[in-house]
Amino acid sequence: MPKENVSLDRKFGHIVRTASQSHIELKPVYNSGDMNHLSYDNDIGDPGIYPYTRGIYPEMFRDRLWLKSFIVSYSTPEETNQAFREYIANGLTDLRILADLPTQCGIDPDHPAAWNSMMCGGVATYGIPTYERMLEGLPLENVVYEFAHMGISNFIYNYSMLVSIMENKGLDLNKLHGNGINDPIRAKLVYECPDFPTDIARRVYMDHIEYAVKKTPRWKPCVPNGVDPQQRGMDVPKELGGCLALATAMIQELKGRGITIDEYGPMVFALDAESDFFETIAKFRAARKMWAVIAKEKLGATHPKSMQLKIGIRTSGLSLQWQKPLNNAARVTLQILSCVLGGVNSIDASSIDEAIGLPSLEARVFNLDTQHIITHEANVPLVADPLGGSYFVEALTSRIEKETNQYLNEIEARGGIFECLESGYLHEVMEANRLKIQREKEEKKRLIVGVNAFQAEGEEGPVNKAIRDVAYRSPTIKDRENMVSEVIGFKAGRDRNAVKRTLKNIYMAAKSGENLNPPMIDAAKAGATIGEVVGIIRTGYGIPYDPFNQIQMPEMVKQIAGQGGNK
Amino acid sequence: MNENKPIRVLIAKIGCDIHERGPITLMTAFRDAGMEVIYTGRYATPERVVQTAMDEDVDIIALSDHTGSMPIIAESVMAELKKNDEMDIHVMAGGLILPSDIPALENMGVKGNYGPGTPLETIIKYTKSLVHPV
Repeated sequence: MPKENVSLDRKFGHIVRTASQSHIELKPVYNSGDMNHLSYDNDIGDPGIYPYTRGIYPEMFRDRLWLKSFIVSYSTPEETNQAFREYIANGLTDLRILADLPTQCGIDPDHPAAWNSMMCGGVATYGIPTYERMLEGLPLENVVYEFAHMGISNFIYNYSMLVSIMENKGLDLNKLHGNGINDPIRAKLVYECPDFPTDIARRVYMDHIEYAVKKTPRWKPCVPNGVDPQQRGMDVPKELGGCLALATAMIQELKGRGITIDEYGPMVFALDAESDFFETIAKFRAARKMWAVIAKEKLGATHPKSMQLKIGIRTSGLSLQWQKPLNNAARVTLQILSCVLGGVNSIDASSIDEAIGLPSLEARVFNLDTQHIITHEANVPLVADPLGGSYFVEALTSRIEKETNQYLNEIEARGGIFECLESGYLHEVMEANRLKIQREKEEKKRLIVGVNAFQAEGEEGPVNKAIRDVAYRSPTIKDRENMVSEVIGFKAGRDRNAVKRTLKNIYMAAKSGENLNPPMIDAAKAGATIGEVVGIIRTGYGIPYDPFNQIQMPEMVKQIAGQGGNK
Repeated sequence: MNENKPIRVLIAKIGCDIHERGPITLMTAFRDAGMEVIYTGRYATPERVVQTAMDEDVDIIALSDHTGSMPIIAESVMAELKKNDEMDIHVMAGGLILPSDIPALENMGVKGNYGPGTPLETIIKYTKSLVHPV
């Protein structure tokens, strides 16, 4: 039987758009005319020299390679500890810590609202015993740790845990390195985090920053985060503008507490690496330049270091697809490459199986190996800012700077970043862009391979199937019951007087305006839990103990707050 | 049932799951398809979800969860519906649902059980067919 004739469409798979992911319209060709408005010294400059567009170190990656990072947080502290060990053996150099979702909301595992998400997305780090098990045998000095949580309560609390453990072991707090996100805009805008209303969150985040800057100079207690706002709908100028606005507000408020930007030192942002390759690179370049200018011109930085922006990356989880998951390897590789070409300081790359569940070990080793291949086989990091001077990249960097400045002016005209959060303006901007993107996908003006274009025909192959089969299981009912028993047992076995005394000190600090961080460290050592410290701060502010309004305050808190019982 | 009356859907997230992009995308898509949609927001309880479903007289509760805990969440909602004698409200589920969890969900009477990346048209078509069987 003769075979059917094949018809071939020369235009199959052709380009469907002319604008970047953030709707920046691009020309087909750029030339020297697109750089006429730029001066090399003022706008670009050599790497290591103000305004740091091309990078903060003179020799960039020859001097120090970016840190390779993952959030490592599985259901139990033991699994998490084991995973850290395996990733370190494969080249992990930056340890990102997270917790399960209830902990991130500021409640304990024995809270009724915890049950449905308990031990999901991470360890229930309710108190010091889980911390000790999670970090057992891992180095604490001169290693970079990062906290990626959502609730503002979690940063001051996790920091207090790390400090407590280091002090208990007699370690040097000057050697505590790393950072915590501690971004109250993200906590509300992206997560509506229930732990604290924004007024309390603003007090707690600043208390923690003030304390950490003085006590642990190598710890960055605030990392304005653009990753999650971007994932939730913001475009690049809004992602970057939000970070710059928060960082500016934070440094100004810190000045009111007697700490200058020169004492604070370099700023760190957490930015997203999206699929749009050149836009992502240009964003990192623009970010460094814009912060340098703001730090120097607006915030009075005099030391070069305090004009520098370090960029920590989380590659886009949202860009990864459930369909044909093998394709995620291409997406992640390009995103990592954009980070390297953009001169970032640390990379936490999402894994190819991330649209299916928590990442498997193999997928993450692939991730680390991708970075080793970019370094040692592709030789990409040998030369600093290799795209510097490209007509297109310089023009795009400048364009992002311009659009971001317009957004910053808008925020300022509306009374500042916190006013824009409270008024709902930030949410409106974010939702409008999210909707625009959803419509573009529906109308196929934005193609996602395997999702709204180039879909798979017929049966899925063995490689894609295997990627999907490794999904990490969520904890069983039995696991959750055991966790609840563990917490109840832990609470019953503590020195009740020590817990009560330290909680009372937090309560008094909340009421009087004293810094909350010192009594928080004492409370961590005494075994107070995340739910208790969140509750006592709320009580000190005269709002209900429980963020979910489901449980009564414990007897000892009633006594502290003078609401019946023995004082 | 009156075919002209718009289908009313309550999209619900129970517990501490923060992943909201799915339910919000679905909310827009359902509205575009002519349905009336209410969204509980995050951090809801089974009691509140069922109470809202009754107060708002919805045809369907659409549960969203990305923690892998859908069987636990769905069970609590089904129990609450039974307690209130509201078993005629349909329950659908979507999000991070493991294939191995689907039989248990179906046994409870939970419909749809859509994993990540399910085309919106598929979900909309099925949702309509639940309320207006052909």
